[in-house]
Amino acid sequence: MKVLQAAHPAVLLVYFLAVTLVAMFVWNPAIQLLALAGGAGYAFLIRKRGELKGDLAFYLLLFLLIAVTNPLFSHNGVTPLFFLNGNPVTKEAIVYGVAIAGMMLSVLLWCRCYSRIMTSDKFLFLFGKAIPRLSLVLSMALRFIPLFRRQMKRVGRAQKTMGLYASGGYVDRVRGGLRVFSALITWSLENAMDTAASMKARGYGLKGRSHFALFRFDRRDALLLLVSGLLLLLTLCGVGAGLTDFSFYPTIGELRRSPAAYLTYGTYGALSFLPFILEIEENLKWTYYRSKA
Amino acid sequence: MKKDLLAAFFILLAAAVLLSGTRIQSVEEYYLTHVDDITAESETVFISIRCDTIRQNYDKLDKELREGDYLPADGVILPATEVVLRPGDTVFDQLDRVARANRIPMEYQGADENGFGSVYIQGIQYLYEYSCGPLSGWMYRVNGEFPGYGCSRYVLEDGDVVEWVYTCDLGRDIGSQEIEGGGGTS
Repeated sequence: MKVLQAAHPAVLLVYFLAVTLVAMFVWNPAIQLLALAGGAGYAFLIRKRGELKGDLAFYLLLFLLIAVTNPLFSHNGVTPLFFLNGNPVTKEAIVYGVAIAGMMLSVLLWCRCYSRIMTSDKFLFLFGKAIPRLSLVLSMALRFIPLFRRQMKRVGRAQKTMGLYASGGYVDRVRGGLRVFSALITWSLENAMDTAASMKARGYGLKGRSHFALFRFDRRDALLLLVSGLLLLLTLCGVGAGLTDFSFYPTIGELRRSPAAYLTYGTYGALSFLPFILEIEENLKWTYYRSKA
Repeated sequence: MKKDLLAAFFILLAAAVLLSGTRIQSVEEYYLTHVDDITAESETVFISIRCDTIRQNYDKLDKELREGDYLPADGVILPATEVVLRPGDTVFDQLDRVARANRIPMEYQGADENGFGSVYIQGIQYLYEYSCGPLSGWMYRVNGEFPGYGCSRYVLEDGDVVEWVYTCDLGRDIGSQEIEGGGGTS
């Protein structure tokens, strides 16, 4: 059981929004590093078995791709390293590219954690009353890709049992993939219609319809909300006071080193590592109790 | 096996195309441009680069440019300089040569990359389009007049005076009547 999975959806939403939005909009290497580390740590803890290897390659590739792209298009900066087709490739542009890549990576990781923890039933619980249609569409869209992947494997297996093996050749494999893909498209259209129809049959979104919910807002939730809200507030104060201002062009600026700036980094670090710490604490408790038994 | 070879061949081909299309120069190589000496019979033009307008619009200027000393206090990035005119030189050719010779960083968009078929100057000396408000950018005038078309289409003649000026208001603050689409343009 993941600790956050037991928390109230509203708390989760506030927390994930806070940590991700700050990571997205505050352009400061320290903040971004903290967001990346916290997100990566938590994603690592709640990963599914066998997920790690393929993901690592994917994220590394994505990181490199984004980092390399920026200096090709942005030539601002005072330190040219070499000239490509008459345009300078500068140190500043490369550093900026790495910063963008890091930001994208951390946001992706946080979104992944979000989708693991904030399942569609929680999302519907929060918004099903207020905006029934949009929240249904959103929750369907959000679960679409994992669903698609699962179904793809299933169709592939079914095809195999029917004797449609793909041999080693690329052409054959592509052809097999297309066959699976076309089956998938049909299935997903039908599935979306089915879902919508079945929700309608159950009277989803009608007035006066009561709601089944497992979630109660208890003391733990209040505490979590309070802590994350306080940390966010402190961080935002620091951001508002300009403590996290950082410039990449034309020269790379310096990180602020005042105590107040350190405090801002500290509060955001605490916010970012909060689920990681909670999870570790729970794991420790678990092993401790088991060792006693 | 055969198909693997084919894939490898295609990757090699793509790499070769990419590499042959890119020219890599070291910093020294790039700035090493030959500036012709002015002799009695050589044709010459005058070229200057100024950014006086940012002083009146200092509050709109990017914060990074306000700190540090990237921009000259008097607004003169390059005082009027006499340079040799090679036959067929456009305003852009001269700017490029003069910027390299004086190690002034300059970034441009090639004529094949935009809609109006001419080189577009994006930034000179870390001062870019939109660096000083949404209507800012680089423009040029020749003999006191704004040509109103791209700098790589204007072929210079002997004795022309080229001025590159930075506008913060689509050219209105530097005396251009024409109002063109996009940020200040040239």
